[in-house]
Amino acid sequence: MGKIRIRGGNKMGWIQRKWTAEQADRWTKEDYITFILSPLIYFLLALGVALSLLLLWYGWVILGVSVVLFVVMVKIIDPKLKAISEDYEMKQKKYLEELEKIVRWED
Amino acid sequence: MVPFGFLDWFWLIAFIVLMVGSGVRFYRLGKRSESDFFLAGRGLPWWLPASSVYATHTATDTPMWVSGVVYRFGLSGLWYTFYAAWCSISAFVSTKIFRRSLAYTQAEWQSLRFGGMSGELLRGWVAGWQVFLNMFVLGWVGIAMGKVCGFIFGWPLWVGLIVFSSICGLYVITAGYWGVVMADFQQGVIAFIMIVIVSIWGIHAAGGAHEIIDKLHAMGEAGRLNPFNFTGFFEGDFPVAWFITMMFIGILGGLGMATAIDWFPEAQRIQSARTVKDASWSIWAGSALVIVRNALWAAAILGFFVLYPNLQDVKDYEMAWFRLGFENLPAGMIGFFFAAIVAIHISTISTHLNLGAVYITRDLYHHYINPNATQHQLVWVGRAGTLLLLLGSFVFGSIMENITEWLIFALWIMAAGVWLPGILQVLWWRFNGWGYLTAWIFNLVFSWLVVWVLPAFGVIPHLRDYQQFWILMILGALVFVPVTFATKPENMDRLVKFYVMCRPIGWWGPVRREAEKRGLLKYGEDQDQRRE
Repeated sequence: MGKIRIRGGNKMGWIQRKWTAEQADRWTKEDYITFILSPLIYFLLALGVALSLLLLWYGWVILGVSVVLFVVMVKIIDPKLKAISEDYEMKQKKYLEELEKIVRWED
Repeated sequence: MVPFGFLDWFWLIAFIVLMVGSGVRFYRLGKRSESDFFLAGRGLPWWLPASSVYATHTATDTPMWVSGVVYRFGLSGLWYTFYAAWCSISAFVSTKIFRRSLAYTQAEWQSLRFGGMSGELLRGWVAGWQVFLNMFVLGWVGIAMGKVCGFIFGWPLWVGLIVFSSICGLYVITAGYWGVVMADFQQGVIAFIMIVIVSIWGIHAAGGAHEIIDKLHAMGEAGRLNPFNFTGFFEGDFPVAWFITMMFIGILGGLGMATAIDWFPEAQRIQSARTVKDASWSIWAGSALVIVRNALWAAAILGFFVLYPNLQDVKDYEMAWFRLGFENLPAGMIGFFFAAIVAIHISTISTHLNLGAVYITRDLYHHYINPNATQHQLVWVGRAGTLLLLLGSFVFGSIMENITEWLIFALWIMAAGVWLPGILQVLWWRFNGWGYLTAWIFNLVFSWLVVWVLPAFGVIPHLRDYQQFWILMILGALVFVPVTFATKPENMDRLVKFYVMCRPIGWWGPVRREAEKRGLLKYGEDQDQRRE
């Protein structure tokens, strides 16, 4: 898979770590990687905890892998979530007023 | 009956005072406005809604359910409880989109996403359904507490049902969601500590982890240690086809909204988070705790199986985790354990009391009856709604034994035929309110036919639950897809506003281009998106 060039943001390798608000609003490969990692972490967490409690060595390995994947996932998606949040909170008051108008049933 | 000493009663009373006190303490914050009474002013850091997600989904009947499936199927039973996995995707898709919508409830979201008559009908339907469903869940969980109190103290069922729900009602009525979420935090901590202690204690009581494994081998039950102990692709109690369906429903359901009944309490927690980022991590972390909790229970239930391998009656083995605690913990700890059970119980009760009340207040009273209501009036309607739900739950709880089968069927209706439309309303701009409404109506018809009527008359065989899911999904799509195309798309103004505010994922090309034409999105932004 070739490198994807994303304008306007600093990159750390293949994964983008710095985002402008406009970039962060798009659905990008960082989101899609998270869609794969996140359920995988849950899956491994369920197995890892149960098997570790039974003191099975592979339970500890699975649990360890789930923790490592969690750290990777946070590194990938957290900067993007932060950028979305910071931008959105500035618009929230206006959106709240808009929401009240849109959903009023007399309209 | 379980003997209670002085120390046991001390723990119990101290915990109840602490729980109720910490909830009531937030009375002043809760009464400020509708937003405070139902969403804690949309200002919570991620860990508070996360602990509330975890505490809410740890109810009195949850250890019974997990005990039952793990006792029957061994570690494979873990996957019966894996439905929380929908949050793994939802945290980064539907949670983000819903938080940006700012809708108080899923019903309000319907009238934001869909306009006109269909949007209004959907809002009214979802609100009414949620009032009923929350009352039902309150009755269901309440009667489970009645059974636990019957097991411990020999009390009649109604005592456990009424006493603890009423105690919980005190702080929900006074402090609203502020009380719920603050009490949930400490209840979640107490419950998690006790789940860890009892599970480890239970494993120890069964001789320790190695002893459990050795005994399972000696009993010819080593398959219980295998989480993928399938009985065939389609055959047996644990077929691969069921597992695939479960993963499909659970994980992909996170792309949409209202694809699982747990979405509704989560939606309230999402809106109470102070930022989009806090909302995402709260849902992810709260459900991760649920997954860990189930695994802790599962290991301990294997220990219970080794101790009591031949229980045939579900009423005996569904109490496995409770029995591990009450039969093995030392004197003085029993009260602590029961206090944790009370914490587990009232954290769920409090959520559903406040959640049902938000639909009564925001979607029925404020929307239809008194759109110009003051904040003071809305808070009082919220309190009255809470009381109504509490009283209704006593009625439901008292008749639960007779109606459980019907109500599980009602929940199944909720899950099967509207699962795909729940996703399409987020992913596809062309999906409209009439399509979604049709899906709900025809799902009622088809589920009756497929689950009850046709098998009863011998027209089709009795189908497994995963088979019913696929059939109901396909039958529903055969109706709502043509209806969607036969009716007009939603008004473009509404869709553009919705798109700019929520930025949904999926097929929104025409709406995005219109937003761009109106100068609401930057041209370069759109170009970049297409290139990707």
